[in-house]
Amino acid sequence: MSKKPTAGPALHKVIMVGSGGVGKSALTLQFMYDEFVEDYEPTKADSYRKKVVLDGEEVQIDILDTAGQEDYAAIRDNYFRSGEGFLCVFSITDDESFQATQEFREQILRVKNDESIPFLLVGNKCDLNDKRKVPLNECQLRAQQWSVPYVETSAKTRENVDKVFFDLMREIRSRKTEDSKATSGRAKDRCKKRRLKCTLL
Amino acid sequence: MDFDSPEEKEFPGLYASESTSKKSKEESDYSDGEHDKHSKKDSLLIGRRKDKKDKGKDRGYAALEGESSPEEELDTKSPSKSKKSKTFKFTSSKSKEKREKSRDKEKTDKELKQVEEEPQKDKDKAHEEKEHKKKDKERKEKDKKSEKKEKDKKEKKSKQAHQDDVSAEEALALGYPVFGVSVSLATERSRCHDGIDLPLVVRDCIDYLQEHCLKCEQIYKVEPIKTRLMHYKRLYNNREYDAEVDELNLPTACSLLKLFLRELPEPPLTTDLMARFEEVASHPEVTKQQEELQQLLEQLPKCNRTLLAWVLLHFDAVIQQERHNKLNAQSLAMLLSSTLQMSHRLMVALLCHCNQLFPDVKLIKYVPPLTSSSPKLPEKPDDIQTELRKQDSLLSQIHSEMNAGFITKKREEQLWEVQRIITQLKRKLKSFEKKQEKSIEELESTAIATTSPTAATLTTVPAPVPVATISEDTTDSKPPTNNKKKSIDLSAGVSVDEVSTTSVESRPQIDSPVAVPEFIIDKISGYVLLPKTNPHRDELLRLQIEYDELIAWQNELKARILSERNEVFRLKQLYDQKLQRQQATMAPVPQPTELPADGDYERVIEHYTRENALLEHKKQMLGMELKEEKRACIALQVELRMQQFQM
Repeated sequence: MSKKPTAGPALHKVIMVGSGGVGKSALTLQFMYDEFVEDYEPTKADSYRKKVVLDGEEVQIDILDTAGQEDYAAIRDNYFRSGEGFLCVFSITDDESFQATQEFREQILRVKNDESIPFLLVGNKCDLNDKRKVPLNECQLRAQQWSVPYVETSAKTRENVDKVFFDLMREIRSRKTEDSKATSGRAKDRCKKRRLKCTLL
Repeated sequence: MDFDSPEEKEFPGLYASESTSKKSKEESDYSDGEHDKHSKKDSLLIGRRKDKKDKGKDRGYAALEGESSPEEELDTKSPSKSKKSKTFKFTSSKSKEKREKSRDKEKTDKELKQVEEEPQKDKDKAHEEKEHKKKDKERKEKDKKSEKKEKDKKEKKSKQAHQDDVSAEEALALGYPVFGVSVSLATERSRCHDGIDLPLVVRDCIDYLQEHCLKCEQIYKVEPIKTRLMHYKRLYNNREYDAEVDELNLPTACSLLKLFLRELPEPPLTTDLMARFEEVASHPEVTKQQEELQQLLEQLPKCNRTLLAWVLLHFDAVIQQERHNKLNAQSLAMLLSSTLQMSHRLMVALLCHCNQLFPDVKLIKYVPPLTSSSPKLPEKPDDIQTELRKQDSLLSQIHSEMNAGFITKKREEQLWEVQRIITQLKRKLKSFEKKQEKSIEELESTAIATTSPTAATLTTVPAPVPVATISEDTTDSKPPTNNKKKSIDLSAGVSVDEVSTTSVESRPQIDSPVAVPEFIIDKISGYVLLPKTNPHRDELLRLQIEYDELIAWQNELKARILSERNEVFRLKQLYDQKLQRQQATMAPVPQPTELPADGDYERVIEHYTRENALLEHKKQMLGMELKEEKRACIALQVELRMQQFQM
């Protein structure tokens, strides 16, 4: 079993979002256990933890696989709030799922209240390129509008699966170091002041 | 007794009014999750004092984070501190330029100082108001913590959002107490996840005392350190109690239980029925007394009855150990009747009858849902199911509380953790099912062959309809029935559709062998029958019948698994077919029989699979119940058939 996050290595919390049936669980399971599940079984919510080596540093990743169906929208907010990075997945063979990403993005921004939250737009099922319904340039355009990276993946062939998770973790990590720099900078200030004060007294 | 909580002293009836007049409102709030409403009410009701004292500071603090001027900040600070920083400012940097440069630094610096300052301030206050000391400190600490947490996030957030968060955090500390609310609310808020409707705090205390303290002479006689008691009260109020971190001890467990009972806004026997209980207690006839108590107890709300049952049975266990702890019914009632808000006489009466009054209640030690620090997950599918139900219950509680605005970092951590455990359990269960499926596949052929003599019994039990098929307008459900037929054909060829006919069926089979007084193998049932005079006859027969019933059950389950599997296979084929057809229609080849638009197939299939999955989940829940019922059913069946052989 996993250690407590505070004691162990850095922990990055990733949330999978997207419409039903686009392959969020498939991507997650492929990343976690190298398995591809053919049967479709709607997820309510699942959570996984894995130790990975990110650029030579051991970190833990928490993946929360959410429900695509609207039925579970009520509990989604609770999860979004605690997410540090988001993989917004759609299927390149399903235009509706692509349109839905807009809504998911808005919901995330509403909950997180942060335009620059680590976020990747993921076009899944790229092995089914012959059935593509969403043109590549449209995807890239949307990613550009949101100023987020766009990656196409295939949970079936494992193409880019690791990439999306690792890219997102890198974003989360750099985001965290930025934040901690800001706070530690402040702490330094305080030390300085204190020392100054002492000399004064 | 000086255990009254500070709040109560200060605002007499504070909790009472909340839980009685606002009870219904709150309960609806709870599920609604109207965050605004709730936090408003919060600050009105409980955080009233806080508002007065801390709001100014909070506001100043929030303002700090924006574009506030230094003057504003100084207003909110204590005079001594502000002086210091002023002089410091002047001496350290006399030129205006420098001062302006350092302003930014200063700002952050002050923030940190302020956070540090708070406990100091708190102490000062505590000297003035000794009464409020503990509570204040607790709250301050909470605030401090939350503010620190907030600080990390603040740069990402606008001022508005920040304030919202602070109020949410306050709601946690004060919004949903377990102490001082009605039994039903406390039970709802502090749930035991194993299906027993008892507030967790009561359960934990009783568990602890039952396990460690029944023979201790100090039980219910010593008082704990008050700060410690309050610490535990807060832990439970905030749902932060962790048995591994803060283990109870004897005085704390006793007093915490008493505190909970005493702070109930209404007597556990309810105001309405109280007078009648007292009346019955003064009844001279003991047997009648019990009857009447029984009747009255049945009129109590369920959670009150459960609470009473547990508490009284625990007290009974205490007085059973009178030898060691020197407490009998009289002396214990002396100590605790006021806590239970009833007369001494009534408590003695209840204690005297409690075993007859609550025959259905057993004090079972609570095993809380596993956490990530637990050694390992259960291995057996049954245990996994039980654990899964506990975790589900916990998860739904977390969700409903979060929707109601009870949100903290810790709670979020817990949400992820519980979710992770559920996922692991489900995966385990699934892999187990897969393994099972495989082994059954291997067994299949042999199983059918060996069970053929008893196949008649197999068919008497109707196989529950595979759940998956309910949602389908079944086009072809032959595979499962085929299977059934096979076994029927092998048997005497009797096909029975209803359970009610079972006994009728079995009678003719049995009549003939009973007539023969010798040791014999029954032709139809295949049972070894000893002569009636043999003392082991019954035992042997019973075992054989039981064996048959169990085999039948096993077969039934196997058949069901098989049919489920066939169903899955069929669905998959259907799905594939539709998919193929859809692809075919996409290509210019027209389908002669199917005309609808392409998107429809996928939607239809998706709809069905989704329905299936939802029903599947329900089935899992019902499965456990089914099993229990089935077990009882088999026991009765065995008895029934034993009777027939006896005749």
